[in-house]
Amino acid sequence: MTRPVLEARDLRVAYGGNVALDIPHLAIAPGELVGVVGANGAGKSTLVNALLGWSRGAPRVSGSVRLDGEEIGGLPPHSRVRQGLTLVPEGGAVFMRLTVADNIAAASAPASSGRRGHDEEEVYALFPRLRERLHHAASALSGGERQMLAIARALRLGPRVLLLDEPSIGLAPRLVADVLRTVRGLVDENLSVLLVEQNVRAAIEVVDRLILLERGHILAQGPAAAMRDDPRILAAYLGEAVA
Amino acid sequence: MNLVQQLINGMVLGHAYALIAIGWTVLLGVARLVNFGHGQIYMLAAFVTWWAVAGLGLPYPAAILVAMLAGVLIGLIMQAAMLRLTFAQDLVSIMIVTLGFGHMMRGIAGLVFGGHPQVLETPLSWIDFEIAGAWVTAQDLAIILVAILFFALLHFVLERGALGRTARMVAEDPKLAQLAGIDVRRVYFAVFAFEGAAVALAASLVAPRTPILTSIGFEEVIVTFVVVVLGGIGSVAGSYVAGLGLGIFTALFGGFVSPAYATTAAFGVLIVVLVLRPSGLALGAGRGAR
Ligand SMILES: Nc1ncnc2c1ncn2[C@@H]1O[C@H](COP(=O)(O)OP(=O)(O)OP(=O)(O)O)[C@@H](O)[C@H]1O
Ligand SMILES: [Mg+2]
Repeated sequence: MTRPVLEARDLRVAYGGNVALDIPHLAIAPGELVGVVGANGAGKSTLVNALLGWSRGAPRVSGSVRLDGEEIGGLPPHSRVRQGLTLVPEGGAVFMRLTVADNIAAASAPASSGRRGHDEEEVYALFPRLRERLHHAASALSGGERQMLAIARALRLGPRVLLLDEPSIGLAPRLVADVLRTVRGLVDENLSVLLVEQNVRAAIEVVDRLILLERGHILAQGPAAAMRDDPRILAAYLGEAVA
Repeated sequence: MNLVQQLINGMVLGHAYALIAIGWTVLLGVARLVNFGHGQIYMLAAFVTWWAVAGLGLPYPAAILVAMLAGVLIGLIMQAAMLRLTFAQDLVSIMIVTLGFGHMMRGIAGLVFGGHPQVLETPLSWIDFEIAGAWVTAQDLAIILVAILFFALLHFVLERGALGRTARMVAEDPKLAQLAGIDVRRVYFAVFAFEGAAVALAASLVAPRTPILTSIGFEEVIVTFVVVVLGGIGSVAGSYVAGLGLGIFTALFGGFVSPAYATTAAFGVLIVVLVLRPSGLALGAGRGAR
């Protein structure tokens, strides 16, 4: 196996005395799209946030995180972002008071990194809808448009690994498929993505590998094709009777 | 008392008020922070300017720089102590800690500079101009000029360009700003350093107008409060207008009604404005550091 682009070991997160996440090992290969599914409160957001060392709360996080073989586990979130690990957190991560244009302009890969993020034209080519709303404040966007803007901002940062926490939340079914297809396209151009997605049925169509979380632990994981028929997935999320 | 003289006094006072308040405006607008040690930084910076001129024999402009440097240092020390509270946006604790810093600064000033009132003599205080039968000193003109330049520069920096955008991002959502690769800690330090430098600049320009005592600073905090709130919390342009308005109001009220009740009247105006227009006077109110 090629060296993973992102690798975590003994990743533990605790809120007060409650251990919300305990993952011995997790790796993402270059150009791989890994889906993370699980019930509400399973620890999906906790996982992607912990990889970045970021949180809206104040959890205790321990463990090792390596990006391209380099340990980043001790770095503050903004440094990890500059190194190429980017997160689109749960629920419309845009600056409401900035215009769409400013939101996009404000995000760019640091010149010193040598990475090239999407330029503004590429972003608008990907999300033409945003071009039409250029001079609106982000607070005036619809939920779906905000998600597009959040993803666009992340791509501008030129990530090596992109962590997406439920990018399709609140989107119309057709848009869900659109967004997931867009993500797949980026992965095919060699981006690596960890995608948290409630919509298992839609996710399983695009991901390479699926991880099932339950109460902070990895309950099952495997290639998408195999997981499609996994009884635990079927039972829990597809609402189909286990044969 | 003629009207022209009062208007000129009001202009000077107004620009002084705006300059005294600008550090708080940026502090609140960018970092959503408060500093109740603001007045004591003013007091300390006034003493440092006096000491640099009278004690070290530095020329006045160099003394201003020394005072601003001291302001930066105090700001950085305060922020270093409060960093965790800042990240948690724990305003109540920050209020108490900054109040504590203020009292400590007052104690230190008493120890270092003693209890005697000092007068800061600057070369500019000796130069007078007559305008339509009213008098103004070069020191007063310097206050107006520096305030205008300072506000124009700040407005320009915050309105355009990456720095202003970064400020607005941190003001809106510091956590999200981290995800955009912004070192929010550095921004907080920079903002507190700016606050210290700005109020020190104001002190070294305005303090020559009155005797310098360790007890000064309280009135400056009150004025700052009024200017920041009237200007629409965090608005640079709003603070300028509010400072100017408050200065002219205070001068006219003091000249034609009663100087003893000018501050009382200013608070009356503040309350009326707040009740009628909760977001302050400025159009850009609540839009972060503008
Ligand atoms: N700020 C916090 N303080 C305390 N506990 C928290 C906090 N955030 C999350 N938790 C706890 O951690 C556990 C995992 O939460 P997490 O948000 O990761 O779940 P999730 O899988 O993302 O759920 P959802 O599908 O609802 O987004 C939950 O039990 C939750 O109560
Ligand atoms: Mg979640």
